[in-house]
Amino acid sequence: MTANTPAEAAPGKPSGAGSLNPSSGRSPQSGAPAVDGAKLVRERRLNNAKKNWAMFRSDIPAMVGAVLLIFFILIAVLAPLIAPESRLDVTKQLDVPRYAPPSLAHPLGTDDLGREMWVRILWGSRVSILVGVAATVMSMVIGTIMGLAAGHFTGLFGAVVMRIIDFFLVLPSLLLAIVLSSVLERGVFTIVVAIGLTSWASTARIVRSQTLSVESRLYIERARILGAGHSHILFKHLLPSVMPLVLANTTLTVGGAIIAESTLSFLGLGDTSKESWGTILKNSMDVSAATSGYWWYVLTPGIAILLVVLSFTMVGRALEAIINPALRSR
Amino acid sequence: MSTPTHDHPQPTDPENPETASAPESGGPSSGGSAAGGPSSGASGGPASIGPADMDEPPKGGSFLGYLLRKLGGAAVSMILVVVLGFFAFRMLPGDPVLKIAKERPMSPAQIAELRSQYGLDKPVIVQFWDYLVGILTGDLGESYVYRKSVAALIGEYIGPTLLLTATAAVIAIALGLWLGQLSAWRRNSLFDKLASSTSLVFWSVPTFWLGLILLMIFGGTLQWLPTGGMVTPGLEPWSFAAVIDVIRHLILPVVSLVAVVYAQFLMVMRASLLEEMNEDYLTTARAKGLTEDEVRRRHAVPNALLPTVTVVFLHIGGLIAGAVTVEAVFSWPGLGKLTFEAIRGPDLPLLQGTFVVFSAIIIVMNLAADLVYRWLDPRIRRA
Amino acid sequence: MTDLRFDDVSITYRSSSATRGDVIAVSGVSLDLPSGATLGIAGESGSGKSTLIMSALRLLPKSARLDGQVLLGGKDLKELSFGQIRAVRWAQASIVFQGALHSLNPVREVGGQIIEALEHHAKDTWTSPEKRKARMLELLTEVDLDRSKAAAYPHELSGGQKQRIMIAMALACEPDIIIADEPTTALDVIVQKQILSGLASLVAERGISLLMISHDLAVLSSVCENLAIMRHGRLVEYGPSDRVCLEPAEEYTKQLAGAFPQIGDPESRMNPRTLKPAEVTRAQPLTMSDEVVLEAKNLNVSFDTRQGRERAVRGVDLALRRAEILAVVGQSGSGKTTLARSLLGLQEVDPGSQLSFQGQALPRKAKALRTFRRQVQMILQDPSGSLNPKRSVYEAVVEGLRVQKIKDREYERVIGALEAAELTPAADYLESIPQELSGGQRQRVVIAGALALDPQVLIADEPVASLDASVRGEILSLFLALKKNLGMSALIITHDLGLAWNIADTVAVMRKGEIVEYGEVDSVLADPQHEYTKELLAAVPRLGSQSLVRNE
Repeated sequence: MTANTPAEAAPGKPSGAGSLNPSSGRSPQSGAPAVDGAKLVRERRLNNAKKNWAMFRSDIPAMVGAVLLIFFILIAVLAPLIAPESRLDVTKQLDVPRYAPPSLAHPLGTDDLGREMWVRILWGSRVSILVGVAATVMSMVIGTIMGLAAGHFTGLFGAVVMRIIDFFLVLPSLLLAIVLSSVLERGVFTIVVAIGLTSWASTARIVRSQTLSVESRLYIERARILGAGHSHILFKHLLPSVMPLVLANTTLTVGGAIIAESTLSFLGLGDTSKESWGTILKNSMDVSAATSGYWWYVLTPGIAILLVVLSFTMVGRALEAIINPALRSR
Repeated sequence: MSTPTHDHPQPTDPENPETASAPESGGPSSGGSAAGGPSSGASGGPASIGPADMDEPPKGGSFLGYLLRKLGGAAVSMILVVVLGFFAFRMLPGDPVLKIAKERPMSPAQIAELRSQYGLDKPVIVQFWDYLVGILTGDLGESYVYRKSVAALIGEYIGPTLLLTATAAVIAIALGLWLGQLSAWRRNSLFDKLASSTSLVFWSVPTFWLGLILLMIFGGTLQWLPTGGMVTPGLEPWSFAAVIDVIRHLILPVVSLVAVVYAQFLMVMRASLLEEMNEDYLTTARAKGLTEDEVRRRHAVPNALLPTVTVVFLHIGGLIAGAVTVEAVFSWPGLGKLTFEAIRGPDLPLLQGTFVVFSAIIIVMNLAADLVYRWLDPRIRRA
Repeated sequence: MTDLRFDDVSITYRSSSATRGDVIAVSGVSLDLPSGATLGIAGESGSGKSTLIMSALRLLPKSARLDGQVLLGGKDLKELSFGQIRAVRWAQASIVFQGALHSLNPVREVGGQIIEALEHHAKDTWTSPEKRKARMLELLTEVDLDRSKAAAYPHELSGGQKQRIMIAMALACEPDIIIADEPTTALDVIVQKQILSGLASLVAERGISLLMISHDLAVLSSVCENLAIMRHGRLVEYGPSDRVCLEPAEEYTKQLAGAFPQIGDPESRMNPRTLKPAEVTRAQPLTMSDEVVLEAKNLNVSFDTRQGRERAVRGVDLALRRAEILAVVGQSGSGKTTLARSLLGLQEVDPGSQLSFQGQALPRKAKALRTFRRQVQMILQDPSGSLNPKRSVYEAVVEGLRVQKIKDREYERVIGALEAAELTPAADYLESIPQELSGGQRQRVVIAGALALDPQVLIADEPVASLDASVRGEILSLFLALKKNLGMSALIITHDLGLAWNIADTVAVMRKGEIVEYGEVDSVLADPQHEYTKELLAAVPRLGSQSLVRNE
């Protein structure tokens, strides 16, 4: 946690320090020689990126996770090309055997309506990953704003924000998401909102504690002494310092959101017209696949969830370790 | 309720961590109360200040004050739950009655009747008042599906849920904390790697899926354990055979709940113990000649437990929510199954009832966590 | 009795990252501590002194490799089994860690932590729990702590009390050697004096040998017979402490010794000793004028605490003139930082307090305050913390200009400020980030950040407290140069009377929020009137002479 960590900047550098005021430092009218400052900065960033990449690369689980993620994202994007949507149409599967166990002809078996499991998994990845990512983005934005507000502002406003965070922290997001999605219209968007609106509290807590720790640093006091107001401190100091943490946390949260999606779909709160891994599991439950010996019906979607969530988790942990060297020993 | 977690390991005063972390920067706690050195000055050599050290930190608030603050916090959360319970079900887009009507064909007259039955024809404020009075008098409305009072239904189903979640919680806490501290202490050993990666895998699956798999293996294929319910009908209640039967029914749902949650506890415990590993007081303990085991048990673990407790109790909320799907998978006759059926209904009064009751349980658990925390941590107890 | 000998000891840390390679913390150090002797090891951060003493009880982390021999009572520690070494720990040699920090377990009662040591080395004397408890209480009495403190938790004790607990713990098993690791760092001078003299007399009475390390040469020389100076893992100089302090042979030792001014020594008056003095460019350096720039009258500041309202600053009257350096001296908790914050308008003051800048009352509105801050700037205690680790020097210096919306000649202003802070050639440093700079350079960047706004007054809070002793003089001479070249006024908050002697025109001594003595440095420090000033002066450790021991 010390100030002189070698890899303070985020690996992908979407929010890198210098991007705040890139080259305005060397004002053109002065015409002064820039002493290769720009080059120095570029080199430092490049070196940082290289160092972080080397660190990431040496983390084998994270690399495996990254490769798996790329694979799943590719098949999700290319699903219509690999297997046309018509293969999910029940009316066109009349000649396919139902409950066929995995074989050469049916690699992952078929379901109760004769649909190929692999096609369903393929199409399911679209909704599952999309919901996971979209809900996470939503929860990150809310969590960051709330966490910054709770950490930076003292007095009544900060206390109220803190209370709200506490409330969402204590109540399990699944419970709230169930309530939200059962009163709203069924649909993918509803699921995203239900998860996004209810799962931001842990992000807010992390952001708040990071904000508090940065807030107690002297350079914030120094900025105040220089005459800075809230917006300068929030956007020039606090936000850049919490961003890397938030980004690493995003990857970790996607996994949770994917599980939440599958749970909501499993409970029948999802969009039944769209394939998702949760929906497949719900269908399998509806036909008692688990107790009737249709193991592939239960196993395959779950393994898909496991692989994707695990991949996101491994990548997220690696990013976290890069950002926070204190965690590296773990 | 915002007691520290593994993200924020230094237990500071939860109410104002700012002052706690401030250095000598003139904060009231350091700048004001602490006065410089002995005032006696000339009254004898350096050896006379002992008892009256002006720098000694002031003694802190009473237990009553702490309890009242925490009770107040819990009360605010409860009020929020109650308010949310009301507005979520009546104010969000989509008239709940119309929603019911959409899923089951109904005549306009039936709709109107439903409306008056739920009191939806009254002004919002009146509805809210009726609802508040209802909650305070234990009247949570009438279930649409069961045609019974929601309160009665919940009373009937709450026992099995408490049995299931309490059993799972106790096992998960014991297992998670025990493995977590061993894992951290033997960091990077084979044991640590196995324990950590197993927990990561468990952490990455949905609870209900794990339930389905267990059901498939032990209930379906092997037929060792019952596939659903809580008791086999026909057994004498409280007889030895019935108790054994309940335990047999309990095994699979408990295992599915434990598997996912213990993993989280393990990782939290591991992280917070690792956080303590480089602390100076451990060096002091080693220098005193303690064995490594003693250093761990007597010094490191008690400190690492502190941040863990809060996180553990926060996750118990998640465990209770996990009961919803697990009870659905194993047809366990509890609140979770009731919720599951309420969703299928859709039976909004019942859903609202289970939401409020679930939330109440979780809020009470967290209140308990805060009290346990104060008991464990002298810094909060006495300062 | 046991003696401790380091024989050609080298300690290397194996680093996990291939790029950094191994770090040599200690190399080829030989030192001898005969039984009953006192030895001090002085060195700045990174000198390897802490690593060296940890090897005396084999407490080094696993990644450390030790070459050479550490002999305790003639036995090579490397040869002992883990069981044997555990028996040696605390029974033969115990350590006083920096108790003021984190060396006590925060969740256990301190009495129990002392008893724990007794339990592990239960000699014939303390066989039963009752006897151990009695022994623990006896130890508390010996270190002048009330017996009721046995049931206290560390957070309930002051820094000095915690240090006493550590000493009691170290004495518990009647060891032959006590190793003290920075035992008084972070303590105020008066408490420091009490702890040091207490420790010294306890050790002397029992004939225990004492090995003490510190960054503070004066502290060591006031207690120890012999002194060793370490730098970069090597032994630089070794000898009787009077000789090492007063007639140092090595340049580095001279520099260290010079960082501790002898108050009253005319040579160091207005002349901080440094190898790199800041340049005075004016032919006729500016001196203190009569024009008052910043003034406080009847300043009171109160805080709400759980115990009710506390007044941190009470009825302070101060006036800072043009080109004056005023040192406000006080212990921690004396309200001096609060005073500084009030002068800047960062702190709400009580009604009735009058603050004025150039004859005009301090503004209260946010916008006017911002303009006011162009005139009065503050330098915070820790330069490393005062700079955002991710932002370059240019960004750090330009921050004030941006905040104040000063748009013209931005680049020149930054370069000018850096040069005024003697960070030259300024252009070379523009794109550096704080971690690439040394502590002294960081402090210069912070000062440049303040200078960029062309302020008339600088307020500095302990500007050299967190810097290594050898850098102290450089920064102090910079303050003097700023005054002489630019006519800058400065108010410097410090716990260090020597700093006042080095650079200040006037000094105000603060205690419990009040100014107890205020006047010209020469008169106040040469002839203090107030009891407290006298006490403070007496507590300042002097170089050499084992002053604390011999006074007893």
